[in-house]
Amino acid sequence: MKKRGMGRYIFLALIAPGVLFITVFMLIPLFWVILSTFQEGGSFSLNNYISLLDSVYFRQVFGRSVRLSLLSTGLCALLGFPAAYYISRYSRHKGMMMALAIFPMFTSPVIRSFSWMVILGRKGIVNQALVGLGLFARPQSLLYNEFSMTVGFVQLFLPQMILSLLGVMDAIPTDLTEAAGSLGATRLVAFLRIVFPLSVSGLVTGAVLVFTGCMTAYTTPQLLGATDTQVLSTMVYQYAMSLRDWAQASAVAMVMIVVTLAVSTLFNRLSRRINPLAA
Amino acid sequence: MPLLELRNITAGYDRNIILRGFNLEVEKGEFVSLLGSSGCGKTTTLRLIAGFSEPNEGSIIFGGRDITHVPLHRRNFGFVFQSYALFPHMTVFDNVAFGLKMRKVPKAEMRKRVMDMLALVDLEGFEDRYPREMSGGQRQRVALARAMVIQPDLMLFDEPLSNLDAKLRVRMRVEIRRIQQELGFTAIYVTHDQEECFAISDKVAIMNQGVIEQMDTPANIFNGPKTEFIARFVGFENFFDLKAEGGAWLTDSGAPIRLTQRTEGSAVKACIRPEDVLIGPPDAGFENSVPGEVLVSTFLGRHVQYNVRTAIGEFAVKAEQDHVYSIGAQVSLGLIANKIIPIPQTNC
Ligand SMILES: Nc1ncnc2c1ncn2[C@@H]1O[C@H](COP(=O)(O)OP(=O)(O)O)[C@@H](O)[C@H]1O
Ligand SMILES: [Mg+2]
Repeated sequence: MKKRGMGRYIFLALIAPGVLFITVFMLIPLFWVILSTFQEGGSFSLNNYISLLDSVYFRQVFGRSVRLSLLSTGLCALLGFPAAYYISRYSRHKGMMMALAIFPMFTSPVIRSFSWMVILGRKGIVNQALVGLGLFARPQSLLYNEFSMTVGFVQLFLPQMILSLLGVMDAIPTDLTEAAGSLGATRLVAFLRIVFPLSVSGLVTGAVLVFTGCMTAYTTPQLLGATDTQVLSTMVYQYAMSLRDWAQASAVAMVMIVVTLAVSTLFNRLSRRINPLAA
Repeated sequence: MPLLELRNITAGYDRNIILRGFNLEVEKGEFVSLLGSSGCGKTTTLRLIAGFSEPNEGSIIFGGRDITHVPLHRRNFGFVFQSYALFPHMTVFDNVAFGLKMRKVPKAEMRKRVMDMLALVDLEGFEDRYPREMSGGQRQRVALARAMVIQPDLMLFDEPLSNLDAKLRVRMRVEIRRIQQELGFTAIYVTHDQEECFAISDKVAIMNQGVIEQMDTPANIFNGPKTEFIARFVGFENFFDLKAEGGAWLTDSGAPIRLTQRTEGSAVKACIRPEDVLIGPPDAGFENSVPGEVLVSTFLGRHVQYNVRTAIGEFAVKAEQDHVYSIGAQVSLGLIANKIIPIPQTNC
């Protein structure tokens, strides 16, 4: 009994610093931000939100943010699934392959955006190849638009998707796909019916990570986008730093939080429908 | 013509060769067990037959057709895994129905066949459960039903009972044998449990170092092992050399031994089980008598085991409890003539 009591104190002592840190530097400021968005001139008001929703420009930015984040999440899932499956099933040099997959995470997003500028620029290798192959007469503008932003997002967050998927796929015994094969399933069918549903929990984790990452990323849309391709995170910066409108900035931040939470919940719902045992 | 034939198979992992010049023939309707110690290549063999892997050399013939390179999903063999390998995200019904769905069996027929199969393995009423809601024995029966419902041309079992407790194991093996005889399928059953495989099989193939050393009916293997390895495997513990001289068999110390089995050659290794050796006082007057001295005596419940040193080697003897000899006692051993099994020297 006594020992148990001791354990309790040690447990509290261990989690206290973390809880304290999060409370002081995250929960209290967040609460303040939430509160401030519902105020105007010292009294309760929804004006911050009403003016946002009224603005066509905001609705455009909002739509672009969600659209690009969903698109990037989808692309990461599409690219990440085969990669993770290959690494978990067939790769002999698993450690090596994993290191390669997550290697981009060791580079700063700023540097990665700059490399895309080099690659996608008018004199970059992509344009040189397109013109050289005679597909286009003149270099195309591949930079500072939604295309380059999506490319940047996908490259930025693909490792997270692969790691999340790898985590669950490694736990699927090879017996299961072999059993499916002996029952008449081709490799593709075995993948779709066994591996895919059992990987859904990893897919959801990855999708939430990628989606939140895309929604909140700042450097990538700032460096690879333009003024006419603003997203919510760059808009927050603009309101706060350029326009000094902290109330509007906070309201936009709130919208970001709500959207992120809503979409994460949606992903979880979907996963439960595919595989009732996942998560 | 055998139903299944493995011809001169060489197989392994990377540079590690496990099977070398491996041959096996299985007749239609037979229940054949592959018996061997852990790591001798039983699973490797079964996986080749199933099509999970391909041999480096040799061919696999099934029903007269070379299936060496036929992909596994087109072989129509049922496989029962040691780990059950049930699909955790599907109910019992969907697990069993999986193979039928792959074969595009109509809904109504599928339902009937799944339910019939669940009834056969005594799992009626469990169709909506998930595998994790079932016990080990029940899971194994689901695995059995799932493999059998596709009416496979061949059933492959890889130590299907080794994760169950001893009592359930005995019940399940009787069950498997009953279903096999009821449905009449051909089966290859891998195990390292000698009792299990002798109880269940028409034929037993004993594997050693990547080849089959002997394949025969359980009784023939039990009573007539062809190699020293097999003999040890089925409980022979006493081995001694005999040579032919003037129409009689003599031990190394020159004592004559009468054999009842006709034996060719000029020299054999003979063996006998501990329970087939009599023990008595030096003047007991046994046939095939060998004098010796008791080294160790071990109490085994109904029996006592003596280890006796003789001029032709140490003998293990299993005697009734009322034969009491202390350590160091001089005794005489009697080797029962028709229980002595000669092993031709070429096979040692
Ligand atoms: N995937 C594998 N990679 C490398 N070696 C393996 C693999 N599976 C089994 N082996 C080796 O092959 C040998 C035979 O294995 P296995 O056929 O599983 O034996 P058994 O089923 O008779 O116990 C063992 O020595 C084992 O270490
Ligand atoms: Mg094995």
